[in-house]
Amino acid sequence: MTRFYTPNFNGKKALILHRNGESMKRLTRQLERLGMEVTICWPEFPKSDGVYQNGKLIFDIIFVDADNGYDDLFPWLLGAPPVPLIALLGSELPGRLEWAMSQNIASHISKPIQSSGVFSALVFAVSNFEKMKSEQLHLENLEMVVNSRPAVLRGVSALMKHGNLNESQAFGLIRKAAMDNRTSIEKYCLALNADIFDKLLINSANFKNSKKAN
Amino acid sequence: MRKEIPLGLLYSVTGTYGAIGRDLLDGAMMAIDEINEDESNSISFKTIIGDPGGNIDEYHRMCEDMLRRDKCKQIMGTITSIGRKEVTPIIEKYDALLWYTSPYEGFEVCENIIYTGAAPNQHILPLFEHMFTHFGKNTYLVGSNYVWGWEVNRIARELIASVDGEVLGEKYLPLDDVDVERIIDEIERKKPDFILNNLVGNSSYAFIRAYHELGKRNSDFLAKTRPIVSCDLTECDLKHIGAEAADGHLSTAVYFEKLNNDLNQTFRTKVTKYFDKNRSISSFLVSGYETVHMISKSISIAQTDEINAVMDALYVCEFETAMGRMKIDSNTNHACLTPLLGRINSNLEFDIIDASKHPIIADPYLINFSAEQFSRRIATLELQEANDYLKVIK
Repeated sequence: MTRFYTPNFNGKKALILHRNGESMKRLTRQLERLGMEVTICWPEFPKSDGVYQNGKLIFDIIFVDADNGYDDLFPWLLGAPPVPLIALLGSELPGRLEWAMSQNIASHISKPIQSSGVFSALVFAVSNFEKMKSEQLHLENLEMVVNSRPAVLRGVSALMKHGNLNESQAFGLIRKAAMDNRTSIEKYCLALNADIFDKLLINSANFKNSKKAN
Repeated sequence: MRKEIPLGLLYSVTGTYGAIGRDLLDGAMMAIDEINEDESNSISFKTIIGDPGGNIDEYHRMCEDMLRRDKCKQIMGTITSIGRKEVTPIIEKYDALLWYTSPYEGFEVCENIIYTGAAPNQHILPLFEHMFTHFGKNTYLVGSNYVWGWEVNRIARELIASVDGEVLGEKYLPLDDVDVERIIDEIERKKPDFILNNLVGNSSYAFIRAYHELGKRNSDFLAKTRPIVSCDLTECDLKHIGAEAADGHLSTAVYFEKLNNDLNQTFRTKVTKYFDKNRSISSFLVSGYETVHMISKSISIAQTDEINAVMDALYVCEFETAMGRMKIDSNTNHACLTPLLGRINSNLEFDIIDASKHPIIADPYLINFSAEQFSRRIATLELQEANDYLKVIK
């Protein structure tokens, strides 16, 4: 079992995109009790001066009014938030839920805000966001593998011809060379050419000879 | 003309944790009688008592009766977190105030609840600081199978890991289950430095007695060298365990009967007069008593029992109590308390063997806890202990 540490939001920055009022004051109080710094802004995302530092958003988590949120609210591509997004839901109209899902929210809190529910929404949001991010990376990697398949096939068959090798010998040489170069087989194959083939074959022959000599 | 204030008292005085409920209710009633008898007070209380008998389905109904039928704006009550969670929605719906008087596992700040019991940074943290520096870091965890045991033991696991100690076992029993032998066998095999006991009521009593039997046949398991420690074992439990079995084990609380201050002396005299001279005083009894006085003072200042005015008055008050000076933090609605460590003696009392140097502000979400800082603090304390030891043998 992986160890679960007590989630701690002390010092984190939250942005609330919602009209200020009693409910948001309650949310703010609850977040401040968790040690967070809170900014409330509506009806627009805060101006870029001051909200980005070294090209990175200064907020660690964003709450958004899912009842009144609109597509151009966020300064990023639809559904690609750079930090966890928590929907503040009053209405459960399918259209509003659809909008919230299209933004890739990581969790939600029902309105009116109560004392309970804020901490768990934060914990779920951060965990879901991390999961989404790592799944995204995994997916991108798999896509790259699939897209590079023709290059790998081309590389293996070219090396087979060039060195008069069978398929498993050629693939073995490429795999070893990719490992030695600390890169993936796919990336390595994209850069293959005749000169590299020669080097690979010479290295392989030297390696075999040195083994025999020993 | 004195204003009569309806006050709900919702405590299970029968059932598994009846002993705790009886102390809380007795303490509360003692304070209410004091206030009602004193004609100089601007208010008097009309009490509405509900005993859910440990049956979770009764809490909501009884609480709603107090709020709707009896027009209570203030309710003292519930002992377990399950009970508190059961009544919270209805307390919020009627915008009333629940005064929760038990130590609990934290991770909650409800704006309609005042928490006068200890949060984890006021019980398990100081307790483990003492245990790690005086007994060791390899721990065995037991608990009753519900949220109190689960969460306090989870925090314990985190503390143990942060000092590179080992959790040698973790076992749970259903409420009221007294089948403790398998746990005792495992403890004998694993030999932990100490045992954290989060069992409640009869399970806890049976466990401590069985451990005593183990000690009789194997001297590696004596309270003096390998104690059981608890976060909610108080004077009201001791007679159910028995002097011989309880002797030497440890517990943390924000009050022990032997606490040495003038107000506690006065309080003890009052208790003897109100009950009888053999009445033992637990942190629950004193908590019930002092909480009623807090409610009374806040309502008297606010001149109404409307909860916002009562809370505003409460936040500015400091209360001189038998537990020491108390204050409610307006940020978290939790009490600032001074944790103590008590060791049970052969007269079924707690001798206070360690105490926090100053009152500790509650940190219900443990936002100020850091494993690195905790581990550094333990290392510093160990060094101090070693130096003190060297000084002694020089």
